[in-house]
Amino acid sequence: MLNEEKIKLMTSIAIFEKAEGSNLSLVKRYFKSDYISRNLLRAFLGYTFCWILGLVLAVVCKIEDILSIVTLEDVVFPFVDYGVWYLLGLIVYLAVTFAVCYRRYRYASRGMKVYTARLKRLQRRYEFQDRARERGKGGQKP
Amino acid sequence: MIGLWVFREKLKGFYARFDVFINPLIRFVFGLVVFHMLNGNLGAMARLNNGLVEVMMALVCSVLPYGVMVFLAGILLLAHVSSISLEMAIILLVLLLFILILYFGLQPRDSYLLLLTPIFFHLKIPYAIPILVGLSCGLSSAVTVCCGVMLFYVMQYIKQNMGTLSGDSTLGIAEQLMQIIRTLLSNRLMVVMMATCAVGILVVYLIRRLPVNFSWAIAIVAGALTQIGAIFIGDFLFDVSVPMPQLLAGLILSMALAAVYHFFVFAVDYTRTEYVQFEDDDYYYYVKAVPKIAVSLPDIKVQRFNDRRRGDDFDE
Repeated sequence: MLNEEKIKLMTSIAIFEKAEGSNLSLVKRYFKSDYISRNLLRAFLGYTFCWILGLVLAVVCKIEDILSIVTLEDVVFPFVDYGVWYLLGLIVYLAVTFAVCYRRYRYASRGMKVYTARLKRLQRRYEFQDRARERGKGGQKP
Repeated sequence: MIGLWVFREKLKGFYARFDVFINPLIRFVFGLVVFHMLNGNLGAMARLNNGLVEVMMALVCSVLPYGVMVFLAGILLLAHVSSISLEMAIILLVLLLFILILYFGLQPRDSYLLLLTPIFFHLKIPYAIPILVGLSCGLSSAVTVCCGVMLFYVMQYIKQNMGTLSGDSTLGIAEQLMQIIRTLLSNRLMVVMMATCAVGILVVYLIRRLPVNFSWAIAIVAGALTQIGAIFIGDFLFDVSVPMPQLLAGLILSMALAAVYHFFVFAVDYTRTEYVQFEDDDYYYYVKAVPKIAVSLPDIKVQRFNDRRRGDDFDE
């Protein structure tokens, strides 16, 4: 016989899984520190790649100015400037990435708690049903 | 009004029944519009400027996430632009890589806004985007919308200067690159529109989350007024001219669109608001419960009677 309460619970768990699946897998796969450090590393690499792209574009644009400079100091000085901007930008970008990942993991772990609680409730339902069935069998024995 | 509520319920029922087909269909139509607009505005590469290519790409996008659509649209855009000007294509590639790596690395869910924003700008209803995004998304979506605005003005620049960009220039690559970058960065209208969108999203988002009655309606009006204010400030500070009839028509249309969205997504009855207070061991709760408007569909029963001409068996 169909157990309506159990079906409702299973449906709600399935909907929750569908809606929050990616977030749940995040908590399942990583510890908080691993998740954040992994994303920080990705952000560092991505930012550095973009900065290099920008630098190449800037060098191509100013190639004639660079080639017309005679002294080494005049060549190096603008790059020191670019380096300072790189560091400032990197710090800001990593801070944003950290904040985003921290919040995302916290949200996901809350979702995981809800999901686990629902699963436990479902498990209790099953145990209760099993016990009731065993009692029923026991009662039938002479 | 009741007819509209019934229509809304029917539409909801229809979507719930056929969502498996409706979602890919929406993606297909969206993709088709995006690729058609790209081909229509910048269709410089004859091989890709083809209806069949548009349909094929839209078909691929209909079964895949929006990120793939952004990727394909980027490739199509780069292909067209590279046949106009290699220098422009390089700048566009760098810009797209910046957006994809720096922003979508963090927030990949908003990718469709990058395509939707230029479409709304193209349809002359740019003010709808901040209101709709403020009502439906988070604050971080403002970044995607701003990127979309930037892309629109870059595409507009390419369209308007197609002859100059593709013509034989006496300038070298470096000088051409510098010239393009300078022209793009000096586009004040682009900066003003980016600021307008960002401020509009911020205002709409903050107001619609307030626990006051009619917060969504207030947010829509406030968003529209904020955008007018931002445009006027831009006009005053940067000497950016936006034609007044176009501005007003766009704003009215945008508000109408937002009202339709409001009707379908957030329909509540404030007259039946309940205020509840209770406490547990740790907290006092002051709860305001606003009921959703729900209309039961009319249950029409059609009773058929066999008439004499058709119902021969009945007589027998």
